Amino acid sequence: MIEARGISRSFGDFEAVRDLSFRVDDGEIVGMLGPNGAGKTTTIRMITGFLPPSAGSITIAGHNLLQDSLAARRCIGYLPESLALYPEMRVEEYLTWRARLHGLHGAAVGRAVGRALERCLIEDVRRQIIRTLSKGYRQRVGLAMAILHEPRVLILDEPTVGLDPAQIIAIRELIRDLGSQHTVLLSTHILPEVELLCDRVQILDRGRIIAEGTSESLQEQWLGNRVLRVTLKGSGAPAAEALERLPGVRSVAVDETVADRFRVDCEPRSDSRQAIFELAVERGWVLLELSEEKASLEEVFVQLTTHEDSGGPEAHEDGAEADA
Amino acid sequence: MNSVVVTFVRELRAYFVSPLAYAIGACFVFIHGISFAILVGYLNDAPSSVGAPMEIFFGGTIFFWLALMFVGPVLPMRLLSEERRSGGLEILMTAPVTEGQVVLGKYLASLAFYVVLWSPTLLYSLVLWAYSDAVDWGPIASAYLGVFAIGAMFLAIGVFASAVSRSQIVAAVLAFSLIFGLLAIGLLEFLVVSEISRELLGYVNLIQHMDDFARGIVDTRRLVYYLSVSVFFLILSSRTLALNKWR
Repeated sequence: MIEARGISRSFGDFEAVRDLSFRVDDGEIVGMLGPNGAGKTTTIRMITGFLPPSAGSITIAGHNLLQDSLAARRCIGYLPESLALYPEMRVEEYLTWRARLHGLHGAAVGRAVGRALERCLIEDVRRQIIRTLSKGYRQRVGLAMAILHEPRVLILDEPTVGLDPAQIIAIRELIRDLGSQHTVLLSTHILPEVELLCDRVQILDRGRIIAEGTSESLQEQWLGNRVLRVTLKGSGAPAAEALERLPGVRSVAVDETVADRFRVDCEPRSDSRQAIFELAVERGWVLLELSEEKASLEEVFVQLTTHEDSGGPEAHEDGAEADA
Repeated sequence: MNSVVVTFVRELRAYFVSPLAYAIGACFVFIHGISFAILVGYLNDAPSSVGAPMEIFFGGTIFFWLALMFVGPVLPMRLLSEERRSGGLEILMTAPVTEGQVVLGKYLASLAFYVVLWSPTLLYSLVLWAYSDAVDWGPIASAYLGVFAIGAMFLAIGVFASAVSRSQIVAAVLAFSLIFGLLAIGLLEFLVVSEISRELLGYVNLIQHMDDFARGIVDTRRLVYYLSVSVFFLILSSRTLALNKWR
C-alpha cells in the first residue's frame, strides 16, 4: 500500500533522512517511532507528497507519488502534526470544502461529511466555528478531514500530542477503529501508543530505520532475557540458591525493597515458572507472587536511540524540521 | 477546474467573514465618495471644458490611484502568506490539487472581491444620470473595463508578493513597491528626452492609459499588456509555491 524505496532528503548540508526503505501492507497499522529530530516528520511529509525526496521513489496504492502525484494524493488521508485548519470556518463548512476539494459532488458531499462527523464524534460541534474549539476537538476535526474521502491510506503525524488523557483515549479508540478499514501509518514518540495500536513498529533515528518488527519481536531481539519476579514468603537466603539451580535460570538477584522477593533472570525462550512453583511446593514456601517483568518497548527504544556522543537535544535537527 | 472553483468559493467566503475586508471596503467607498463629492462640487461651480465628471473620477484624481495602490497589495496579502505561516499549505497541498489551481482560485476570489468593492461607484453614474443629462455611458463602460484590467494586474502582483513571504505585512509592502514601480516607470514618459524611450514608456504609462479608458478609448494592446503581466505573476506565484517544497 505504501512503499518507499531508498528515499533521502537533505536541507542544505543537513541530511534529515537518508536512504530509507520500508513498506506498509494493506490493512496494517504501522507505528513510526523516534526521538525528536529523527526524521519522522520529514519522512511523513515525503510520503504525503508535500516534500519531494532528494532521491528515491514512493508508491502509494500503486501510484508513483512523483509522477502521478494527484492520483496518489487521492488515496491518502493525512493528519499533519501542526494542524492548521481555517479558524474562521464552521466545522461542517470546513469538511464540506475539503470533501469538494477531493472531488466529491452533490449528495455525496453531505454523506461523506455526515459520516466523518459521526465517526469522529463531533456531531455536537458541527455548527461551531473552528477558532472556538478546544485542541482535542480540533484534532478530531483534523481526523474527520483525513478520513472524509475514504482514503485507502491514513497517515497520522503525532495524532495525540497536546491532548488531555481522556481525549487521548478517545482518539486512540478512534484510530484503532479506523485501522480496521484503512492502512495506517502512525508517527509518534509516545511508546505505549505504539504498543496499543500498532501491528508493527519501525524505529527511526538520525534519518534511518534502525529496527523494525512487531513490538514483541523487537523486545525479544533487543532485550533477550525474560525476568521473573518471585516472592516466597519466609524463605530467606536459601531460596536464592535453590532458584539459581533451577534449569533455565541464569542468575537470581535479591530485591532489596521487599522481603523475600527475587528477580530471576532466565534464559531466552525458556519458561521456569512451573519449576519455581514445584520448588516452592517441595520446600513448603508460600508462593505470594510469580510474575513476568514486562520488558517494555521503551527499553528497546532507549537502548537503540541513546548515543554516547550526543549530550543533549540536537538543535540543528529540530531547526531543520521546523523549517521544512 | 473543479478545484479552482472550490478554492475560489472558499476564499471569497473568507473575505466576507473577515473584518479586514470590511475595513478595506469602508475605506474604499469613503475615498471614492469624497473624490466624487469634491469633483461634483467643483464642476458645479465652474462649468468648464475640463471634462465629464466620471471621466475625471476615473484616473483623473489622486484618490483613484491611492485607492488602487492600497487595494492591490492589501486584498491578496493574506491569501498565500497566511497558508505558509500557519502551515495550512501542508494540508492544502496534500489534497489532490495543483499549485496552479490553488493560486488561480485564490486570485480569482480577490478579483471578485475587488469587483464587489467597485460596485457601489455605479451609483455615482446613476446619480449624475438622474440629475443631469451629462452622462455618456460608453466612456463609463470603458472606464470600468480599464479599472477591472488594471486592478486585475495589481492583484496578480499582490498574489505573487503573498506567495514569496510568510508575513502578510512583508507581502503588502513588497506588492506596494512593485505596483508603485510600475506606475512610476510610466510617469517617466514625461521626463525622458529621447523620442524612442518616450514612446516605449508610453506603452506602460498606466495613468495615461486610464485617462484614455475614461474617455472611451479602448486599446487592446494595453489589455494584452495587463493580461500578460497578470499571467506572468500568477505563474511566478505558482512556481514559488512549488519551489518552496524543495528548500
